[in-house]
Amino acid sequence: MTDKGNRFLPHIISRTDIVRFCVITSLAVCCTLITALSYSRSIDFINYQLFFIPIIYAAFFYPKRGLLVAFACGIAYQAVGYYYRYPDYTAMVTVTSEAILFVIIACMISYFIEKIRQGETRYRSVFEHSQLGIALFNRADFTIRQTNTRFQDMLDYTTEEITGKQFSSLCLTPRDKERFLERIAKSEASENFETRLTTKSGSGYWVNLSWNTIDETTISCTAVNINGRKIAEKLNNDNMMKYSQLTENSPNGILLIQHETIRFSNPAFSVFSGYGKNELAGKHLADFVDAQDRDEFMEFARHWSENKPVHGEIEIRFVTKTGDTRLGSLTANSILHLEKPATMINIVDISEKQRLSDKIHEDNERRRGIIITVAHELRTPLQPILGYLNLLLSDPDGFGIVEDTKKILERCLVSVDRERQIINQMLDLSVLDSGKLKLSYSTFPLEPLVRSIIDTSGYLSKAEVTVDIPESVTLTADKDRIYSVIDSLLSNAVSYSKPPRRINITYHSEPGDANHHISVQDNGIGIEQNAFSSIFEPFQLADSAKLSRRYDRIGLSLSIAKKVVQMHSGDISVKSAVNTGSTFTIDLPREMKNAS
Amino acid sequence: MPHKIMLVEDDRPILDMMEILLRRIGYEPILVPDVLEALRQAKEEPPALILLDIMMTPINGWEFLEKLRGEYGIKDIPVLLFTASPSVEEKITGLNDPRLGILQKPVSIIELKAGIERFLGK
Repeated sequence: MTDKGNRFLPHIISRTDIVRFCVITSLAVCCTLITALSYSRSIDFINYQLFFIPIIYAAFFYPKRGLLVAFACGIAYQAVGYYYRYPDYTAMVTVTSEAILFVIIACMISYFIEKIRQGETRYRSVFEHSQLGIALFNRADFTIRQTNTRFQDMLDYTTEEITGKQFSSLCLTPRDKERFLERIAKSEASENFETRLTTKSGSGYWVNLSWNTIDETTISCTAVNINGRKIAEKLNNDNMMKYSQLTENSPNGILLIQHETIRFSNPAFSVFSGYGKNELAGKHLADFVDAQDRDEFMEFARHWSENKPVHGEIEIRFVTKTGDTRLGSLTANSILHLEKPATMINIVDISEKQRLSDKIHEDNERRRGIIITVAHELRTPLQPILGYLNLLLSDPDGFGIVEDTKKILERCLVSVDRERQIINQMLDLSVLDSGKLKLSYSTFPLEPLVRSIIDTSGYLSKAEVTVDIPESVTLTADKDRIYSVIDSLLSNAVSYSKPPRRINITYHSEPGDANHHISVQDNGIGIEQNAFSSIFEPFQLADSAKLSRRYDRIGLSLSIAKKVVQMHSGDISVKSAVNTGSTFTIDLPREMKNAS
Repeated sequence: MPHKIMLVEDDRPILDMMEILLRRIGYEPILVPDVLEALRQAKEEPPALILLDIMMTPINGWEFLEKLRGEYGIKDIPVLLFTASPSVEEKITGLNDPRLGILQKPVSIIELKAGIERFLGK
């Protein structure tokens, strides 16, 4: 090969060149002498043909300089010819033609040799500069004969180091070697054989090999560098494996989205959507979103695809493989997947929650319907009773009613009135529970309101009532509702105490305090501590065994009052000691808040 | 001459009681248990006020009211919805009829008197 190499570097005069130069020169001189001799002896059969030996020799090895040799030989031959043939003009013309023939022959040889060399140079250039690694090795024992720079670079060897090695010994593991030998034994021309070769330092390098037999002893093998891809694939597989392990048992659907397509999905999402993980991979998540929610979803997705932080969650309906609709609550997190931005999406199946919530809503509506019907049915028969009692009591003398009977009738009237009240409270509570009640806010002074409650319900005749509320205090609330709340508390204070009853209504609020605090204190029977919370429960939920005897007439007024205050974003609390008295306190926000 | 009060109500015990009660507070009751008959009578012999039950057949109180005010063109007779049904208030605010009121059953004699007097005066 070194010899060949010198031929490409003509300016370096090697020993071979010098030897050739001597041979050519000697041949040319010999030819001239022999020709001169043959002319002088008139031996016609040998003359110009001899010159072809040095000319062809020179033209073959040195195409351009070969022409010079041809010229020189032509001139020499012509000189000899003219010397011996003069003045035979016909013979002189023949000599000239023969000299010209030398040049023509030399030109032709040079031309073809040049062509052949150009082709060889091109192939060599392709070989040397190819992006593919190329190795030529022996068909029988796999000894490497030649490799290009690319191939050497891949494995970090120099030409000298790699030449002569066995190609099969470059395989990384015995298993890789076995596979290679198997494959090459099966076929002398093969493509896309992915394997790992060993670099000089001993590490593995992924290549895609293709080989071909180019002559009886040589196999040409190209190696494509797939190391980067293989490493990325492995990393990807490792990541996927990690995601699988992390998300396999999650009850929530988990998706990895990159470049707007699904890269990974966990088993829970497959259960949720009905699609297998292979059916999901590479698809757009939007394809599985119900048409009605698609715009909302796209808006949400736009945030993550632009790598903006995604806050909060959205509820999106998905269409499953079977065509059902399922509701999922989505949250998104930005992560890096294979060093590129990606989005991890968590989907909580809330279809069941939604279904239950719908059912609860439906049940509440039905219950409210029942309460309304029951209220109607209970109230209707009360009308004649109330009417007749009113009638009898409006003119006892006219109906011949004696004083004792009148008292009995009056007690009946009180009971009818109580029943009427309970039904009304039951309805109030059902309206409050349904959340359909709308508060109508206004700003009003507190003190006159309390006074009017005391006057209207006649509490002064039942108890000693003191009011300690600064005149400047104003509330912003639903006036009618607050009226009933305070009335309920006063009514309770009167009902659960014995004379002499004392009721104090006080107000306090520190500067900077966000709430008004209105307290109603009595000196009544008090409430046991373990019943503090149950007294605010509607009667069906209260611990009736504990409460029924002492607070049997507590009804629903406290639970209604508490709910009303809660709708104002406030609350009612109680402090009490048995046989000493109770204090109910209303905490009401100073500012109007969005009613819950 | 006492005001005539028409009571449209299909519950007999209530009709009987209300007859006495209305007389007691100084009105002349016209008792009509049949709701369709009530519409005809209201046209022929208009009362001063109608006490109207809601849950009735073949048409209910709301349909009666619609026909009375629409088809029959009787817009000036005040109507007091005399009902045990809750959530009537929500509905009547939507109707925006100034000559329409509610008496929630069971109604006491005082409430009845006050309710009627709101439209007819003392």
